[in-house]
Amino acid sequence: MNPSNPPQAAEYGGDEVSAIVLDPGYATTRAGFAGEDAPKSLIPTYYGKYNADGQEKLIYGDDIFVTPRPGLSIHNPINKDGIVEDWDMAEKVWEHSFTSRLTGTKPGNPFQNGLNDIPSEELPTEMEVESDEKPLSDSPLLMTEPGWNPTKAREKTIEIAMEKWDTPAFYLARTGVLAAFASGKASALVVDIGASNISITPIHDGMILKRGVQHSPLGGDYISSQINALFKSNSPQPITITPHYLISAKAAVEAGQTPQAKYKTFPADKAPDASYRALLEERTLGEFKECVVQVWPGPTRLSALGPTGVSNEDMARTSPGRPFEFPDGYNQVFGVERFRVVESLFDAKAAIPDPESSFAPPTPAQTIPELVKASLAGVDVDIRPHLLANVVVTGGSSLLYGFTDRLNHELMQMFPGPRVRVTAPGNTSERRFGSWIGGSILASLGTFHQMWISKKEYEEHGPNIVEKRCK
Amino acid sequence: MSNPSGVTITDECIAAYNQLRSGRGTPKQKFIIYKVSDDTTTIVLEESSPETDYEVFLQKLSSAVDKDGKPAPRYAVYDVEYDLGSEGKRTKTIFIHWGPSHAPIKLCMLYACSKEQLRKALDVNVSIHADSLNELEWKVVLKEASGGKA
Repeated sequence: MNPSNPPQAAEYGGDEVSAIVLDPGYATTRAGFAGEDAPKSLIPTYYGKYNADGQEKLIYGDDIFVTPRPGLSIHNPINKDGIVEDWDMAEKVWEHSFTSRLTGTKPGNPFQNGLNDIPSEELPTEMEVESDEKPLSDSPLLMTEPGWNPTKAREKTIEIAMEKWDTPAFYLARTGVLAAFASGKASALVVDIGASNISITPIHDGMILKRGVQHSPLGGDYISSQINALFKSNSPQPITITPHYLISAKAAVEAGQTPQAKYKTFPADKAPDASYRALLEERTLGEFKECVVQVWPGPTRLSALGPTGVSNEDMARTSPGRPFEFPDGYNQVFGVERFRVVESLFDAKAAIPDPESSFAPPTPAQTIPELVKASLAGVDVDIRPHLLANVVVTGGSSLLYGFTDRLNHELMQMFPGPRVRVTAPGNTSERRFGSWIGGSILASLGTFHQMWISKKEYEEHGPNIVEKRCK
Repeated sequence: MSNPSGVTITDECIAAYNQLRSGRGTPKQKFIIYKVSDDTTTIVLEESSPETDYEVFLQKLSSAVDKDGKPAPRYAVYDVEYDLGSEGKRTKTIFIHWGPSHAPIKLCMLYACSKEQLRKALDVNVSIHADSLNELEWKVVLKEASGGKA
């Protein structure tokens, strides 16, 4: 069989298969059934590790937030670049995402589940015990990957799906292409603002233009680091985030006053690892981003003079601030600062300096306008206007208030000639799950069965088949 | 990934296009509108028409609805004639992918990922993606078809 030929239609029952769509990101992993509007299972990609009774235990999903177990440390199998680093753990986290909500645990071995126990004196003769059933034996699986995923990682992915999960059919699609398809476009410039990465993916006629793919680390986690930098230099007093698990009681205080809270303390041998605290601080920062942070709408940069000769900073000062209360009860109204923490996504010079941050100060080349420029420079001149007329915004962090307006202004200034049009789904879940939704629709199309890589083909051609079929 | 939907194209689609290209048949065909069949498996011919009024074509395209009456995407080919003055009259056939923004997301996606297959089968080089009528204004289309010359 030639690997470039799709399998015959009869191999899969078309609409009858309930395919699973798995969209693994850095911060969250999304899984659900094809054809549905949103992923049923949304879990953090982070997992927890601790020791109990001398044994190492692992916890997954939302459980990692709940109990501050002694020595609990938090890890992520994916590196900051969005590429899997720890395959064993990635497999387990991904598996949890569908077994916890979608497929359920498989029935236990009938010889061991207790129902067929017989009095011990009548031990039966040895019987062959069938090997455990694997989690995806009944469901085709469509997975997503970033546009810069290396060949090795792609092969490893299909290997896990076929050999560890035993899926009968598999397909690997790129997040950018799916997000473009989900907004009805076969050609688009996809701007994806994720947790660990922002990326620009040019897509023409449904094909990813590899030379134009650009990404940089100025995503949601970077914005968090900028917010932390802001908190350190805050006046009247620096703000430290104390997560809920360290607070037993709090009292209401006036804005800007020292918090009145009773704290919980953990003795050194009972305390969770610092990474646990960081994870929970990140939750508070996430709320802060949702309720307070705002992108300066433009048309000019925050540091520039506005059209009336008044500086944009002064203009921002006149707009009413937004209040935020921290877990310990401290609260404050944030004025112009709320614009500053995200300004460096567009203007590297505007970054708030913080020598202790794990993020190096951004370079101009990492900002969104420069990434777009570099991306377009990597594609054919003739298709640039088509891409600019079809800019698709996706990813959870793109929901920052005012983001799309600013992007639109930046692009119009940089490319005054061609028509620039930015499309972004207004619906929050379509924005957060853009690529999952794309995969969900794709895998549910009646005619998609021709595209799946079957188990048989995998066995015949090996993992490299993914390079030939999922282009 | 250029054709992940795997839809098939009926011979009728190609035949209608060849007729439009060759200029045979009376009266001469001016545009063709294609759609994906309701069972989402094939691209079928919806209409081939000799109507020369561009507005009528736009009206037909933008009034396309799916089986539930919601706005629906379509594909079309249109024969654009333009005059280059001293260089004489030219004709260029363009491919239009119409995807109104309020169309159901599943249909949008189906059309988006099947588009390339039809365009390749017909072998039209110039293609326009439009989700609102102002992207299909005559001057825009003319510019696209003539490569900016007319």
